Amino acid sequence: MESKYNRYILAGLTVFCILLMGITLVTDQWLEPLRTAVGYVLIPIQSGVNRAGVTIYQELDDYGQLKGALEENRRLQTEIDRLTEENNRLTSERFELERLRDLYALDQEYMQYSKTAARVIANDSGDWFQVFRVNKGSADGIQVGNNVLAGGGLAGIVTDVGAHYATVRSIIDDSSRVSAMALQSGDTCIVGGDLTLYKEGRLTISGIKEGGDVKDGDRIVTSNISSTYLPGILIGYAADISVDSNQLTSSGYLVPVAQFSNLQEVLIITDLKETDDSEGE
Amino acid sequence: MKRTVINLVLIIAAFTIQNCVFPLIPFLSASPNLLLILTFSFGFMKGQREGMFYGFLAGILLDLFYSGPFGFYTLFYVYVGYVNGICTKYYYEEYITLPLVLSVLNELAYNLYVYVFRFLIRGRLNILYYLKELIIPETIFTVVTTLLIYRLLLYIGRRLTEIENRRDTTIV
Repeated sequence: MESKYNRYILAGLTVFCILLMGITLVTDQWLEPLRTAVGYVLIPIQSGVNRAGVTIYQELDDYGQLKGALEENRRLQTEIDRLTEENNRLTSERFELERLRDLYALDQEYMQYSKTAARVIANDSGDWFQVFRVNKGSADGIQVGNNVLAGGGLAGIVTDVGAHYATVRSIIDDSSRVSAMALQSGDTCIVGGDLTLYKEGRLTISGIKEGGDVKDGDRIVTSNISSTYLPGILIGYAADISVDSNQLTSSGYLVPVAQFSNLQEVLIITDLKETDDSEGE
Repeated sequence: MKRTVINLVLIIAAFTIQNCVFPLIPFLSASPNLLLILTFSFGFMKGQREGMFYGFLAGILLDLFYSGPFGFYTLFYVYVGYVNGICTKYYYEEYITLPLVLSVLNELAYNLYVYVFRFLIRGRLNILYYLKELIIPETIFTVVTTLLIYRLLLYIGRRLTEIENRRDTTIV
């Protein structure tokens, strides 16, 4: 019964459609109002959907472009990283080159000593002591008491030696005392480290005898009479020299040549100071 | 009532999407025939009467917006609803194979219908070209989309049934 009904409906609709087609093939003028009426309802929907579709499509398009841009960005970022790394490497190599050149110049300057270059591999943690460790030891001929040079000047002295390491106490360490002299006048003095001056990057000069002629800016070198330091090694420049209250000695400050904040390579003089008593006398 | 409204909304949505959105997508060389999917799905799921009803609506929409003899699409869509409604006795929810087969058949029938009455009668005999360039791509797209739409319709139907059941129990 049901399907029979449906068949009737189908037949009716078929006839209806064919009739419509037949009529509209001849003329579809009469449909104009109907189309318009339905259009009133559907056009806003369609335009809305269309706008939404366009928006979504543009969003998708933008998104696609964005993804492309992101991909490119990532690629470029990798490139940048690579270049940065390379640049860093080259920069550090350039600095190393400069440092090594300086060391070489130093080497030239102190040619009479046999030296070996070493790399600073560790710094003493904490602020109390200015001690560092280098990667050369007794196997390389380093002995306790060897002088250490850096940046064109004296940096410290070897205090402890292992087979492949050496510990260096730098001259800015609070316990460091270096017998020194002013290059021009030959007046002897003591260059000492001072923790309170460490931040200022200065050392103390003390014990300049009365009548000594040490002026600001004078080159201070290791003295001939030092028992542990080889003579003639540049330490730094004198600054703020004044007469002490006892009127017998003068003292002041020393600005070291070596830069201690970023020590990386040092030269170690493997010659020991000859402490031949007979020579001194 | 609720189902009818939802189905109407679906048909209008399908119509607008099919006409307004799909053409915008450049990489879509062919677009799925959403209205056809809806019509045959309704017929298959609900029976001949509903199939004819929604087919009629879909056809009217298409006829109103395409030129040509009015009733051309209506006639076909009514038949789609009716014929697919015959298969409703084989309908059960998880049965996806038959809908897919029906989808292919309907799509082929639709395209052949258009071809025969719009092209062949004007002497366009190169059916292989149309088959290759239009019919087969559209069929493939439609079949793929059927998988989604059919499941969506099942989901909606299930949800509506749940809501109705809940209302019934609260009344009781």
